[in-house]
Amino acid sequence: MKKKVVSRFTMILFVIGLMTAIQFNTINEPDSRDTRDVWEIRQELSREKQLHSELLSEIGTLDETLAKYEEASNDSPEQALKETVQELQQEAGLTEITGPGLQVNIEPSQEAIVTGQNIEQISPALLIRFVNEINRFKGIDLSIDGKRIINTTPIRDINGRTTINGKPIGTPPVEVKIAAGSMENAEKLYNYLKASPILDNFYIDNLSVDVMQPQEEITVEAYSEELKLEHLEAAEEE
Amino acid sequence: MWLSILGLILGVSLGLLTDIRIPPEYANYLSIAVLAALDTLFGGIRAHLQQVYDDKVFVSGFFFNILLAAGLAFLGVHLGVDLYLAAIFAFGVRLFQNIAVIRRILISKWSDKKEVRESV
Repeated sequence: MKKKVVSRFTMILFVIGLMTAIQFNTINEPDSRDTRDVWEIRQELSREKQLHSELLSEIGTLDETLAKYEEASNDSPEQALKETVQELQQEAGLTEITGPGLQVNIEPSQEAIVTGQNIEQISPALLIRFVNEINRFKGIDLSIDGKRIINTTPIRDINGRTTINGKPIGTPPVEVKIAAGSMENAEKLYNYLKASPILDNFYIDNLSVDVMQPQEEITVEAYSEELKLEHLEAAEEE
Repeated sequence: MWLSILGLILGVSLGLLTDIRIPPEYANYLSIAVLAALDTLFGGIRAHLQQVYDDKVFVSGFFFNILLAAGLAFLGVHLGVDLYLAAIFAFGVRLFQNIAVIRRILISKWSDKKEVRESV
């Protein structure tokens, strides 16, 4: 009799345990469902593909460096290292860059001069938009009023003055120098900027933008401050 | 008693390890079914302690209560009345009552034993 009772209880408890566990599983199911439509997935795919090709080209460059190291390890490893440091500095914007590119002058508009309006500084928001517009092109180095724009460059308002890298820029006219890497790219950038709606935004602020013809030789100043990377850490290897 | 707990552990681990899931629409029904099962279980334990345990009542009550609760919830969903609340209320109240009775019985048993030991 006693045995029978125990077996019944065991059975019932087994069922209860099973049901509780299933309920637990069901409730704990992550509720973020994939609601993207075909178009969004396509975009994601194209992003990933782009990333893929970028990574591939990076692998190519690194392989090249590796080959160079191997080649150089016989005669002069120091030379190879120096070259790499040079390349990295160039990429970070610590060196002056001379090459094909174009110059853009931001000036007060004719109307503002004729009507005698105060010439004000370019607002940070507008400048950021402009820099972003230029940065659509890859492999571009630019400086605004002699201040080199690098990856960590802040463009912001400090005490009412627009600053780049913490240093105030002058009132217009302001020179923007863009090194595009090749003449072809410079042409493309020229055409793009000529047709860009960003110029209208400058006009609203009583500024006119003069995009000059691409030149073979343009010099973009080096980044003059010290690089502060206190919050950056090397990624852990997985 | 230990065998029963083993059954519980076995059931839980089987459920967790196989990772069975039911559609979220049915999660409500299952939660009520679990409550009904717990109610029956504690009812059974109480009956056993009161020496009125009946095998047929226990097993049939287990399945019937589960089906009734789930059916009530189902009906409630289709009628737009939250009938599952009635089931939860009924089972919840009974659960507490049963556990209270079980506790009283256990306490009285324990104090009886103590008295017997002291008188010896």
